[in-house]
Amino acid sequence: MYLALAIALGRVGGFISRITKRGSGVMVTGRVILKLIPSAVETLSIGRSVVLVSGTNGKSTTTALIHRALSTSSATASNYTGANLFPGIATALAENRGAPFAALEVDEMVLPWAIQQTKPRVIVLLNLGRDQLDRLSEVRVVAAKWKAALVGLPASCTVLADADDPFVTWAARDWVNVVWFTSGVVGHIDASTCPECGLVLKWTPEGTSYSCECGFKKPNPEWILRDNILVGPNNQKVTVVSAIPGKAAISNAARGVIAASLLGVPLADSTDAISKISSVDGRFSTLKIGPTSFRLLLSKNPASWRETLATSATGPKAVLLVVNANTQDGKDTSWLWDVDFTSLHDRTVVVTGERRLDVSVRLTVNDVKHSVVDDELMAANVLGNCEADLIASYTAFHRLAKGVKR
Amino acid sequence: MTLTIVHLLPELLGTYGDQGNVEILSWRLKQRQISHEVIVVTAGDKVPTQADLYLLGGGEDDAQIAAADLLNRGGALRKAHSNGAHFFAVCAGFQLIGSTFPASGNRTIEGLGLLPVETISATPRSVGELISTPTIDLPTLTGFENHSGQTRHLEDLQPLGNVTRGVGNGLDSGIDGAITDQVLATYMHGPAFARNPELADWILSRKLGPLEKIDAPIFTLLHDERIKNAK
Repeated sequence: MYLALAIALGRVGGFISRITKRGSGVMVTGRVILKLIPSAVETLSIGRSVVLVSGTNGKSTTTALIHRALSTSSATASNYTGANLFPGIATALAENRGAPFAALEVDEMVLPWAIQQTKPRVIVLLNLGRDQLDRLSEVRVVAAKWKAALVGLPASCTVLADADDPFVTWAARDWVNVVWFTSGVVGHIDASTCPECGLVLKWTPEGTSYSCECGFKKPNPEWILRDNILVGPNNQKVTVVSAIPGKAAISNAARGVIAASLLGVPLADSTDAISKISSVDGRFSTLKIGPTSFRLLLSKNPASWRETLATSATGPKAVLLVVNANTQDGKDTSWLWDVDFTSLHDRTVVVTGERRLDVSVRLTVNDVKHSVVDDELMAANVLGNCEADLIASYTAFHRLAKGVKR
Repeated sequence: MTLTIVHLLPELLGTYGDQGNVEILSWRLKQRQISHEVIVVTAGDKVPTQADLYLLGGGEDDAQIAAADLLNRGGALRKAHSNGAHFFAVCAGFQLIGSTFPASGNRTIEGLGLLPVETISATPRSVGELISTPTIDLPTLTGFENHSGQTRHLEDLQPLGNVTRGVGNGLDSGIDGAITDQVLATYMHGPAFARNPELADWILSRKLGPLEKIDAPIFTLLHDERIKNAK
């Protein structure tokens, strides 16, 4: 079958999905295309410079920033709204066939397929941490899949890898063309043993470097981010500014700038373009519910909750936590106990979501005063006319973010 | 007296939120104004032999092997056991206080030998809500299990519960965990004491005798909701 026909049929499927309100149509379009032409992504990638972005946290944001940076140079296809499985990737490439660049967010387990299909010019490996342990693999299993996938890379591909993360380091270190990045992340919740040999990994007292007696150690980074200053090879230096709050946002922005520079976009052009993005797919956007103006924050796993709580600490006094445990959230809420919520002590805290009782017990043991309500509207009525942060797990966040888009 | 609780190797045996059990024990003791101390033992630290209660949580395969290696050195835990200490072990912790547990490459790793059980690898992985009727005088037990090993009692041991939902020890045994005079072991994460506050008090009572009730209905609400809505 001709690719153009498959794409047209895919669009029809997507259109039907949209008008029948089953979904955005992105997944259906991609599914139809891949069903009719299984090699469509490979074909659609020919002649383009593809950037793949993967990792546990920061995929959508970093992909959106890279998309913006590359767009200063040429048209860029992208799926930064989070459709990061096989169909989402196919749709992104099919919907923008003339674009010479593609910035693609890829689910960690889909990365090997995406590498093989798209033959990327750049791969950005962000981080690997515990996430939805009931349905995803343990961290080192994912790292092993990445390591095996990188063996098949075309020699022209550059991997931009986070040297702060031992699992990313282990997955990428055999590849000849790695550019290492550090932002001085302290420690790693899952990296107590060496990914190479399984012995206890030795961390420096300040937690910014690691080594093992087997020889595995943190590589020397070419790109170093300190506060907002990004310094790279050949005395390159640039100030990274992000309109998205939080330390992780600066780190993602820096990697966006580096990734774009690997495809020839000047650092100054990228930093300027990236600095203007303040929200990605509903994150940090505002949603009015009843009398309360909520700033929406997404948190999916212990690492992202820690980051989000730190970011929220400088936000409004009121905070609403919404935690579900559907398939996409992970059905096991034990991770709540990997997060220290004591930073909420001085704030007005309300809890809802399907697993509000789990959250309530966790907060009780952290001695954080809070109230538990049935839904967001009741929470708004408790909080009243004010600004509040709303920190939500995956399914709750996406339901609420749809309200923003309308 | 001051009750001493030792949290063993949280960086290795802390993948599934079981460190919450330590926080909950401490919180429940604090509510009753019972003097206690929590000692956190990380890799390279000396393991105390005179403490009252030792907790081991769940972890990934490499971490479990590293933990067994560290804890077997010097025999501190066996000494603590012969000194009369109590143990609470969850999942990987349950496996590693037994005689042997499996590792990749068909290896069998020596456990600590504090409980006469052996674990073998099994497929598929047991993942989901775990509910059991306890063999001790407590309400129904609820937790979330996530393990590939299945565990066999090597002697006539008392199980912690008879499984009504989920797998537990597996191997068609229909039971979860084990209880001896000094050991309480289970496959329930959750963490177990968050969902089963009476179980937390039960293990504390083994050292402290009868305890006054705590007015914290949220624990009971969570316990009941988890049993009702397990899916």
